[in-house]
Amino acid sequence: MIRANKNWHIRIDINSMAKTPPFSLISTKKIIQMNDVWTSYDSQSYALEGVNLSIDRGTNYAIVGQSGSGKSTLLKLMNGMMTPSKGAIKIDYLTPNMNNKKFKKIMHTIGYIPQSLGLVKNVSVLDNILIGALPRLNKLQSILKQFPEHEIQEAKRILKLVGLSGKESRKAYMLSGGEKRRVAIARALMQKPTILLADEIVSELDHVTSREIMNLVLDAQKKMNLTAIMVHHDMKLALEFANRVAVIKEGQKILEIGVEGDTIVDFQTGDMSIEEIMEMYNTDSKE
Amino acid sequence: MKYIPTALWAMLETLQMAFIGTVIGVVVGLPLSMLSARNLNSKYVYAPTRALLAIIRTFPSILWALLFVIMVGLGPYAGVLAIVMYTIGFVTKLQYESIETIDSDPMDAVSSIGVSKFQLIRYVVLPESASHLLGQILYMFDYNVRQTSILGIVGAGGIGFFIINYIKFFEYGKAAIFLVIVLITVLIIDWVSVKIRDKYIIKSQHGVEVKRKKSLFS
Repeated sequence: MIRANKNWHIRIDINSMAKTPPFSLISTKKIIQMNDVWTSYDSQSYALEGVNLSIDRGTNYAIVGQSGSGKSTLLKLMNGMMTPSKGAIKIDYLTPNMNNKKFKKIMHTIGYIPQSLGLVKNVSVLDNILIGALPRLNKLQSILKQFPEHEIQEAKRILKLVGLSGKESRKAYMLSGGEKRRVAIARALMQKPTILLADEIVSELDHVTSREIMNLVLDAQKKMNLTAIMVHHDMKLALEFANRVAVIKEGQKILEIGVEGDTIVDFQTGDMSIEEIMEMYNTDSKE
Repeated sequence: MKYIPTALWAMLETLQMAFIGTVIGVVVGLPLSMLSARNLNSKYVYAPTRALLAIIRTFPSILWALLFVIMVGLGPYAGVLAIVMYTIGFVTKLQYESIETIDSDPMDAVSSIGVSKFQLIRYVVLPESASHLLGQILYMFDYNVRQTSILGIVGAGGIGFFIINYIKFFEYGKAAIFLVIVLITVLIIDWVSVKIRDKYIIKSQHGVEVKRKKSLFS
């Protein structure tokens, strides 16, 4: 099996060659791979129906779809919070499994921002951000809530980065919608992530604030060279900020496009214009 | 009037018993309520813990007191043990139910980081449910003071021991003085717990915001 370690060196493990995953393309670049993934919440219907997905390291990826199309389910599969009913998933060449120590290490570096943000309401902004550093604490430090000085400094640096300095002692419930999103992003960045998963974090915000938040994520993505996977229901926003967009409809991936400047490359039908894509998406939405 | 100092001392003993009983009961009960919460454990953990707590809860405090009087003899020690057992059975039920009602979103978000269960409890569950837990502990102490006053009836110490003896010997006047002392104490505790609630519980449930908005118009 060929596997990339953190320094991008390629290691060939002859003993595990037999266990090579059944993916056609094995490359050190792929950070997330899904092969014919099916999931269901009940026995009657499937939330995802045979999704294939392959995401390169460092991509700014967007998943677009309407409510109930299976976008959030897709994200939950990517951080190991859900397991597929059928099919295979590999995150950094490992099958998600909460009981696997190796995968737990990967989980530490997957920043996940749910649609509801998941902030702890009754604690301060700084404490919320420091939650991202919990995997790096030993048992005694966890019990005593003793974060090392360098972690606190790092949290303050990130706080400044997201534009919230001076508000570290505010309780999370006192913040505005935009500020709460910044805290959630800061918590994810505090994990020193390699993957950032965000579920419709700008859907309820006004135009200006949502652009600010998206730019913030984009900046962080470039600076930290992380793989950002963001779920949107706004196609325009996805085309503006992402360099690869997948469209999900009724649990199936109906389209995957790459965005390079103004040109859009459809991986199934060839080049298309933004107008054509928008029109196609709108027609789909109306159905 | 000369009975008042005796009554006050007996009341103080009752308060001490209730306080120690509540503290030990809560310290033992809190980990048990974490083990009984369905949103934190698998059914192989919460089902047996809940069964154990249900057994403890089956006995009323007076029965526990009788049992401990037989085991450790007459006096406040038996009373404290009875209060501890009753508190464990009762407060854990209140607490695991309020832990189960906390918002699942922060729990999901934080557990997706891959933190340990202890860290999840320490950094999410406790802060999110703190105001409920504190309210329940105050309620339990209030309840235990009244309970402890009765436990003396079976010889488990405290002011109840005096009250039941005065009633037995038809000295209703003296019994009434002791009962009034109990009443005044319960009222004081009620007042103090309202103050504590105002300071810590209402505040953590957006009370500060409400007050600030009010002052804009006043």
